[in-house]
Amino acid sequence: MFRSCLLALAILCMGACVALAAPMKVTVAHDATWPPMEFMDDSRNLVGYSIDYIDAVAKEAGFEVEHQNIAWDGIFAGLAGKKYDVIASSVTITEERAKVMDFTTPYYEVRQALIVPKSVDVAGIEDMKGKRLGAQIGTTGFMAIKKVDGINALTFDEIGLAMEALSTGRLDGVVCDDPVATNYILENADYAAKMKVALIIPTDEPEYYGFAVAKDRKELLELLNKGIAAVKEKGIEDELRKKWMGPK
Amino acid sequence: MDNAAMPDPENVPVRIEVTDGASIPDPKDPRIITAWSISLFGAILTLVLLCFCIPDRYVPIVKKLPEGIWITFQVTVFSIIFTIPLGCMVGLGRLSRFRPLNLLVSTYVEVIRGIPLLVQLFYIYYGMSKLLNVPAKVAAVVSLTFCYGAYMGEVFRAGISAIPKGQTEAARSLGFNRVQTMWYIILPQAWRTILPPVGNECIALLKDTSLISILAVPDLLRVAREHASTSFHYFETYTVVAIFFLIITLILSKCVSIMELRLSHYDRR
Repeated sequence: MFRSCLLALAILCMGACVALAAPMKVTVAHDATWPPMEFMDDSRNLVGYSIDYIDAVAKEAGFEVEHQNIAWDGIFAGLAGKKYDVIASSVTITEERAKVMDFTTPYYEVRQALIVPKSVDVAGIEDMKGKRLGAQIGTTGFMAIKKVDGINALTFDEIGLAMEALSTGRLDGVVCDDPVATNYILENADYAAKMKVALIIPTDEPEYYGFAVAKDRKELLELLNKGIAAVKEKGIEDELRKKWMGPK
Repeated sequence: MDNAAMPDPENVPVRIEVTDGASIPDPKDPRIITAWSISLFGAILTLVLLCFCIPDRYVPIVKKLPEGIWITFQVTVFSIIFTIPLGCMVGLGRLSRFRPLNLLVSTYVEVIRGIPLLVQLFYIYYGMSKLLNVPAKVAAVVSLTFCYGAYMGEVFRAGISAIPKGQTEAARSLGFNRVQTMWYIILPQAWRTILPPVGNECIALLKDTSLISILAVPDLLRVAREHASTSFHYFETYTVVAIFFLIITLILSKCVSIMELRLSHYDRR
């Protein structure tokens, strides 16, 4: 009797310990060069829609987030190398990517926008044949350019560098996610005077952002999905969208 | 206290010669198995084995990279073509007794050598884009030429000042003027001493062309990064890039070594 009581007590203690233990810490990688989704503000803080979103998910699902700023070029290699647990950096869910990593349920719908100088008239992406189009390396924008034959596709480490190259006339256009395209044009008076979002590249299926985790982290994936569901249900998602993308 | 003025042979600080470039194989080394041959054949063997054993991963990379090698090659060759004359002029300017010219050239060397090449590339391509709107490849050649011109100038200066003063004195007393002395007597002799370090700088330049990938120039490294970013085969891609660069620099260092051997024909034994 005494023994079984002791055993029961021990089990109870263990349970309590687990419950009282500090919440799980999850390191999240962002490439903070993608305003308004994730970027550095003037005082060098990581801010943006993805950052607020993952913070909200963490609050709902009950884990702690540690943000890291990682260059886009190596961000997937770092995930595979277990340098961090999650990528929350406007990663579009694609078939190729889904082969090497797992994605949560989508948290944002995105399309590819083409930015050109103001003086240029473009009816479709096919008009850009023989022209120099820039994109960030390894993004869906770059893949969209690559799909069209005859376009001279150039890749930049950061989308900001591509925008600068466009503004100085070294590119004929830049392709990137539409919120980013709009943000660059709206936030920078110099760019607003010179460039415009010419068109949204039509695709058969819409693109969605998801948070990426390594293939062998099913429990973390479930936790994130639970958090995302809660964030959507409670209307936090709409608030965040209003905050970063403005009213539609 | 008098001793302090007298150089004590045992207290003369030891000077060592270390260069940052690739080591040039000794042209007179008759052995077959050297660090150079092991590296070269090791690299080639690794590449062939990888392509043979895991073709679905390595063959697409090896097929894709040559277009990048071509750009790397173009940028390297053009930079070297412009750098060597610039380096020669800088070296002569540094030795000039005309003070304003000497100061101007010395300042150039001082400024360029104090700024990292990566920063210079950003500066010329993005920073100065309002003044100097040039295509990426031209910006790359200009930056590399300016940067390596300064380093090359130091090599030329050292090589020219290493020629014994007696040569100049003899030439002048035979009626050569200063320009003729430099052109017919000093430079041909200095060239022999200069060649290995110049070759070394050229190899270093080739390696540094990997930095131009930040200008969206599709060089070897940029093409590889584009491949890695879409295929996610990071390990495989960068292994092949490393092997490619290694093979190119090893072949170049052998070329320099052969040229050195031919020029040393007149050396006194």
